[in-house]
Amino acid sequence: MTDCVMEAKHVYKTYCVKGEKRKDVKVIEAVKDVSLQIRKGDIKLIFGPSGSGKSTFLRCMAMLDIPDKGDIYLGDQSLTAKGVDLNKARARIGFVFQHIYLFRHLTALGNVELALRQVLKLPKEEARKRAIAALEEVKLTDCIKKYPSQMSGGQAQRVGIARAIARKPDIILLDEPTSALDPELTGEVIDTLRDLAHEGTTMLIVSHEMPFAKEVAEEMIFYDEGHVVETGPPSLFFNAPNTDRAKQFMTRIINRTTRE
Amino acid sequence: MFEWLTNPLYWTWIFQGLTLTVEITLFGVCLGLLLGTLLSIGDIYGGRTARGLIAIYVEFFRGSPLFIQIFIAVYTVPALLHLQMDHYLLAFLVFGLNSAGYQKGYVKGAMQTILDDQMAAGMSVGMSRWQTLRHVIIPQAYRIVIPSWTNEFCSLTKSTSALAFVGLFDLTSAGLSIKGITYQVLPVWMVIGAIYFVWITGVSKLMDVIYERKKIPGVELDLQS
Ligand SMILES: Nc1ncnc2c1ncn2[C@@H]1O[C@H](COP(=O)(O)OP(=O)(O)OP(=O)(O)O)[C@@H](O)[C@H]1O
Ligand SMILES: [Mg+2]
Repeated sequence: MTDCVMEAKHVYKTYCVKGEKRKDVKVIEAVKDVSLQIRKGDIKLIFGPSGSGKSTFLRCMAMLDIPDKGDIYLGDQSLTAKGVDLNKARARIGFVFQHIYLFRHLTALGNVELALRQVLKLPKEEARKRAIAALEEVKLTDCIKKYPSQMSGGQAQRVGIARAIARKPDIILLDEPTSALDPELTGEVIDTLRDLAHEGTTMLIVSHEMPFAKEVAEEMIFYDEGHVVETGPPSLFFNAPNTDRAKQFMTRIINRTTRE
Repeated sequence: MFEWLTNPLYWTWIFQGLTLTVEITLFGVCLGLLLGTLLSIGDIYGGRTARGLIAIYVEFFRGSPLFIQIFIAVYTVPALLHLQMDHYLLAFLVFGLNSAGYQKGYVKGAMQTILDDQMAAGMSVGMSRWQTLRHVIIPQAYRIVIPSWTNEFCSLTKSTSALAFVGLFDLTSAGLSIKGITYQVLPVWMVIGAIYFVWITGVSKLMDVIYERKKIPGVELDLQS
């Protein structure tokens, strides 16, 4: 028995990208030997430069990308073992995308309801009730009938969060949930995440929202070039990170935030 | 010139011919959509062999005139199989198979514009690939494809005149028969042409209305960008 909600053990993921010439194949090592444990109620935050492989790692955690090597565990169950019903496993993992990815032909309510009907097989009435409850949780009861294109980015992303939490998953993985939004809209999404944090939701978040990180994260993970460079509590990173790379990155990020 | 229009017999023929034209077109568009969708899915998710076979299928049906395909189906296929086969049934099937060759392209194109992100979203909530196709990808793709359907419907309707060559009684056959008796060549084709025109324009307008009703708010803008 482990008390981990999720665990990654020595995960690797490589992409082969065709180069300009036909025979050129570029190998991108997006995730190199990453291990991570998340216990119930943990909030961990991954941050690091663009293109370093954060999204890839998160997608591997949800098995939306299949790791080349290494193991992913959901509770006691290995998701990388052969013959696992990955759809069942994903039903227990919430995922929020950087570019939101709502179902465009469905209203806010339809977006949240779909998995409750199709995956949890709830009866219509109950699915509706739970979808509305999830939308209430992200404070979106006024636009349940709107389509994704009729909502602001902040509203859409909150629907994305409602869609992820409605199934009451064991953990929620969030990939830069605010980075595609205009600065004035990030606040409402951060508020929603803060509420979830206070309710004890287990979360692994990729984000560069430093004040938010400081407030809710138990642990911050600095990620660069496909692997974890340094981990520690927010206080470590805000005061004196051990590695130079983390130091430089923190300086850059903090300067950028204060300039805005 | 138009006295023959008062003869109810000719109207029975026209009605009979029009019925076949309408039935075979609608059947062709529907079967074509169903098969075209399956071919798209096979093309996207299948292995190399499946993709190769699908490519051959598509090239065959798009690369030769429909009336030759009908000819082969009605005369050659039963002879090769040593079977008595209903010509109408064979013709209906050829329309569906032919339309599938075209509709595969439309449906696959529509699916590809939405596939990456919507599939990830569907799988992320625990749906299987098949559930996501059924509840997310296909409903969106079909709405995008409606205008291409209208084209497909128009071109299939016009192709039905090829049925006259294999002795099936479509609207063009009705025209040929009436002309053969009355010798009013131009008037007969004017009337037959007008019936085609009304039917095709009517359905196209109806499809436009359906498209406007069914289109997903905002999505058509997405496609252009
Ligand atoms: N499906 C893919 N095919 C090929 N290469 C990919 C794919 N997905 C990601 N990559 C590459 O892997 C590397 C890591 O990408 P990833 O999106 O995981 O980085 P990231 O840290 O999330 O960056 P960002 O902060 O910009 O979101 C990049 O070089 C990217 O180009
Ligand atoms: Mg990313």
